Amino acid sequence: MDDNKSAVLLCTCGKQLGLSFDFLESELKKSNLTASVKVEDLVCQEEGLVKISDLLNANGGHLVIAACTSQKIQPRIDQYLKENGIDGSQIQYVNIREHSAWVHEDVDEASKKSLDMIHGTLARSATSVPLVPETKEITNHVTVVGGGIAGIESALSLSNLGYDVTLIEVSDQLGGHVKHLPIVAPTGKSGKEILSGRLEALENDNKITILTKTRVKFATGEMGDFTIHYLTEDSDDELTLKTSAVVMATGFKEFEPIEMDEYRYGKNPDVITQFQLSRLITEGTLARPSDGGPVKEVVMVQCVGSRSEDYKKDCSKLCCTFAIDNSLEILKQIPDANVSVVYMDIRVPFEHEMVYKESREVGVDYIRGRISMVWEQDGNTRVKIYDSLMNEYLDVSSDLLVLSTAILPPDGVFELSETLGYVIEDDGHIKDLYGKLRRNETRRRGVVAVGAVTRPQFVSESITDAQAGALILHNELQGGKIQTIMRGAILDVDDCVGCSLCAQQCPRGVPLMIEQTDSEETSEDQKILFKAIIDTLNCHSCGVCQSLCPTGATQLNFLTNDQMWSEIEAILEGAGPDYPITLCFYCEECAVSTIDIAGTLKMEYPASTRLIPVPCVGRVSIIDILKAFEGGASSVMIAACETDRCHVGGTGNEIAQVQVDVARDILNAIGWKGERVDMFRMFSAEPERFTTAIFEMVRRAKELGPTPVHKGTAGKWMEADK
Amino acid sequence: MIKVSDPVLIIGAGVAGMTAAVELADSGIKTVLVEKLSTTGGNALNLYKAFPTDDCFYCFEGNRWRPGIRKCFYRSALTEQPNIDLRMNSQVEEITGAAGKFSIKLDIGPQYVDPKKCTMCGLCIEKSKAFSLVSPQCQPQAVSFDPEIEDEGTAVAAEKCPTKAINLEAKGTKITINVSDIIIATGYHEMKPVNVDEYGYGTHPNIITQLELAQILDPLGETKGTLLKPSDGKPAKHVMMVQCVGSRDENYYPYCSKICCVYALKHAAILTQEREGVDVSVVYMDIRTYDRHEKYYRDTREAGVEFVRGRVASIEPQKDDSLAIIVYDSLLDKYLKFSVDLFVLSSALEPSPGSSQIIESLGLKSASGFIGATNPETEVVVGNRIYACGSALGPSEVPESVTQARAVVSKILQNRK
Repeated sequence: MDDNKSAVLLCTCGKQLGLSFDFLESELKKSNLTASVKVEDLVCQEEGLVKISDLLNANGGHLVIAACTSQKIQPRIDQYLKENGIDGSQIQYVNIREHSAWVHEDVDEASKKSLDMIHGTLARSATSVPLVPETKEITNHVTVVGGGIAGIESALSLSNLGYDVTLIEVSDQLGGHVKHLPIVAPTGKSGKEILSGRLEALENDNKITILTKTRVKFATGEMGDFTIHYLTEDSDDELTLKTSAVVMATGFKEFEPIEMDEYRYGKNPDVITQFQLSRLITEGTLARPSDGGPVKEVVMVQCVGSRSEDYKKDCSKLCCTFAIDNSLEILKQIPDANVSVVYMDIRVPFEHEMVYKESREVGVDYIRGRISMVWEQDGNTRVKIYDSLMNEYLDVSSDLLVLSTAILPPDGVFELSETLGYVIEDDGHIKDLYGKLRRNETRRRGVVAVGAVTRPQFVSESITDAQAGALILHNELQGGKIQTIMRGAILDVDDCVGCSLCAQQCPRGVPLMIEQTDSEETSEDQKILFKAIIDTLNCHSCGVCQSLCPTGATQLNFLTNDQMWSEIEAILEGAGPDYPITLCFYCEECAVSTIDIAGTLKMEYPASTRLIPVPCVGRVSIIDILKAFEGGASSVMIAACETDRCHVGGTGNEIAQVQVDVARDILNAIGWKGERVDMFRMFSAEPERFTTAIFEMVRRAKELGPTPVHKGTAGKWMEADK
Repeated sequence: MIKVSDPVLIIGAGVAGMTAAVELADSGIKTVLVEKLSTTGGNALNLYKAFPTDDCFYCFEGNRWRPGIRKCFYRSALTEQPNIDLRMNSQVEEITGAAGKFSIKLDIGPQYVDPKKCTMCGLCIEKSKAFSLVSPQCQPQAVSFDPEIEDEGTAVAAEKCPTKAINLEAKGTKITINVSDIIIATGYHEMKPVNVDEYGYGTHPNIITQLELAQILDPLGETKGTLLKPSDGKPAKHVMMVQCVGSRDENYYPYCSKICCVYALKHAAILTQEREGVDVSVVYMDIRTYDRHEKYYRDTREAGVEFVRGRVASIEPQKDDSLAIIVYDSLLDKYLKFSVDLFVLSSALEPSPGSSQIIESLGLKSASGFIGATNPETEVVVGNRIYACGSALGPSEVPESVTQARAVVSKILQNRK
């Protein structure tokens, strides 16, 4: 058995693929990287799975499967092999169905393309290594920052899931904003009622440690091994605790409209915020703050600071419901009060609408318009309202002017982001990993954010968020045993020159720079003070660190530089001036889906294309692009996810864009025409994005003509200049 | 005593149900995922672009089984995961027993095509019209068979199928299973506003709902994403949308359907920014773009979408196929005349059919016909070992459905520790 030879298993898809399998078989047998070639009709069925096991056993795990998309057959094959205790980690897949036979009418052309892609995959397979699963034991402890409803629910959920929890609250008591709410929509209960059972559960839970009057200063380490540095009021020293993960649940801050002169907030004591009104109602002290006089006339103003270009651009979501609930509470306490609500749009989701209707029925007056002026006259607060429906101005007197002010991110979010490694949204809240499906995860593994720190949320939503956040951490921590997914970046510390590019650019903040304390031996000017470390267990295997590393110190264990470069060379074997080839690197996320769907829909495109998969396009370096031209490609395209929609949770595609831009500059500088390389964004709902792109790059390949490599002038330009 | 190995029943394989299934599967809990249609994905499969991310609706979360932040439906491998027992074309017929040991009678539809055997090679589709691919993203990845349109090629297709995946004699079966917990993820249904006389739905082909518009905008749909009038297949230039059709209306549904403003404006954004020469007006009472969705309101105003606060007073079809519409503008206190090619109704989202039966048979609370929580502050717990997530609880966005599904799984795991 030759170590770098692989078996090749070709699937005919039940003899339904328009490919010449005789040609493929005879050509592949000629390759010195081929151990054997088998043609099967149905690799995905039982007989095919048995064949795969046999070939793996006979070839030391080196196997190339040329069939339909690996996105579909790989799970089935993996499951079968797992059940049978066979290691399939070195199997390399090449898609000859959706990426070739289904999209090229011409059988000879499709066969030729398939052959080249199998050759490329054989080259990648030649130096593959088995990937062994690993586990890491960690402390079974999570830290929850913030003792409001979201933090409390997080602590209880995590404790129920078997974790020790430290709950840290900056103020002297738990309960956050909720404890001051007279009524919590849509429950009909007060904030205190909602909290009481939970506070009792906290008290009786010996797995939960509560630290009040405590402020988190910063954190070090990473998932499974964080150290939280904190200060308490009772001690002058900074204290630390060891924890495996962090829940950010620091809630929100109510906007104080001091700068908005038109409302006289901060100058006239009878002008208060909606939350201040909630407190007055809850505490049973509903009276005019200025003189303790009775409250008869109440004017509420919505969207103070929200939906405003100057303060908060977005809607604060909760204020309409709060205003309506408080209006009803006022009328309960003071039945002859008059409450008016001045609004732009009343926004009450789902059944809150019925509460809105009820409030209108009991006499709350809704005025669509804006406040134009507030002033004091004879000890009274006067308000001028523009009613946009009646197109007229109203002058009214009010005992209380209640401002529904914007809901803002809490203090301290930014400071902690620097060491906890999450990203901040434009509006100052903690940014989610992916807006549609990963709302509670942050960029940093092991740090989740729940409740209003992510966006304004109703109490019920915060509770749901906290429960979901606990599950996410449980999935990661697995009760104290983190399991690796085997694929990841491996760093050879001897080759690291301490440039820190990987640590700066990793989309998930995995590489850490560690001070080299034992580097005294080298001379002072050569001493590398910091070197990177990568915990492969935390890695999302995108390959960004690899494409940026100047020395090749960090490489993906399933796609090393050597593997990629030999694949590029092999796949381009037939390329030349008479056969211009467009080489496409595609990510195995949105791009592979788009290309697969284009295949399923049998959308034709030129067969002069060769496709190489990468986990994320962030893996593609300038060198890889230049290697493609060196190997004879006429144009190179990168197929990536849409802007700001990177699947590894960050910037893999943006880093690829930088690599492409620099590669273009280099090509232009040496006279090779930068348009030969380009990057395209796509998603599978619009498969024509891929076909349009590939037509464009094939056109450029033809129109720009032979490259200097084809002409044999490559590398000679310096002499020519002389 | 509930064991970790006891299975959980999930009713409905839309975004919420699928999420609950894969999260439970990850934690080693067996699930029976019951879906009445022939593909999973629910409403999301027909919605093209999703808010708030504006990328496809085909996204589905990765799990330990399919690592990654998200994957397309077609890659979600639901039929391959050992802990998920996916039952397509199936319905729950009866639930008896108590919490922890529910007995479920399932009506399993005939399985004409074995999804584990089908390779989607396309042979049967060539031979017979009775076979089709519901969507390239369908999950399970298999062709569908419609016995109603059986033709002379059908038997040939079954005969020639390389994997013998087709069984034309397939019959439905009834089985009874025992489960410890039940998750209701039955989603929503867009009301067909046939009874809302003032909008003339059903009387003219160019009066459609938002979900129907989504399918016109879908590049994978019949019109390949071009905005064409259903009446004559010619381009539509003037589009009017009307909000709160059947919502916030005592005659139909008193609640706000919550997400229609956002998806109407998402459609308005696609029409004005990604299609040529289309103008859009939106007739509304209140625009409810909560939280960061306000961006859609800002962007569409900037893109020239005209917002008219008021109500539609009359609709008159014209000889040239256009619709003459009179709108009462409550801000200007005037009646305005419009001529439009396509009239799009943001129709109420109602509980999916069967919700009332589930509520009754399990003795659950009702929230305007949707499943109501036992304690409203804990929205996903609806009974003793009975949970609900997604739009079964009331109109929900995709991210909310996903978060709720995870909360359900979190609660189930907490109960089993």
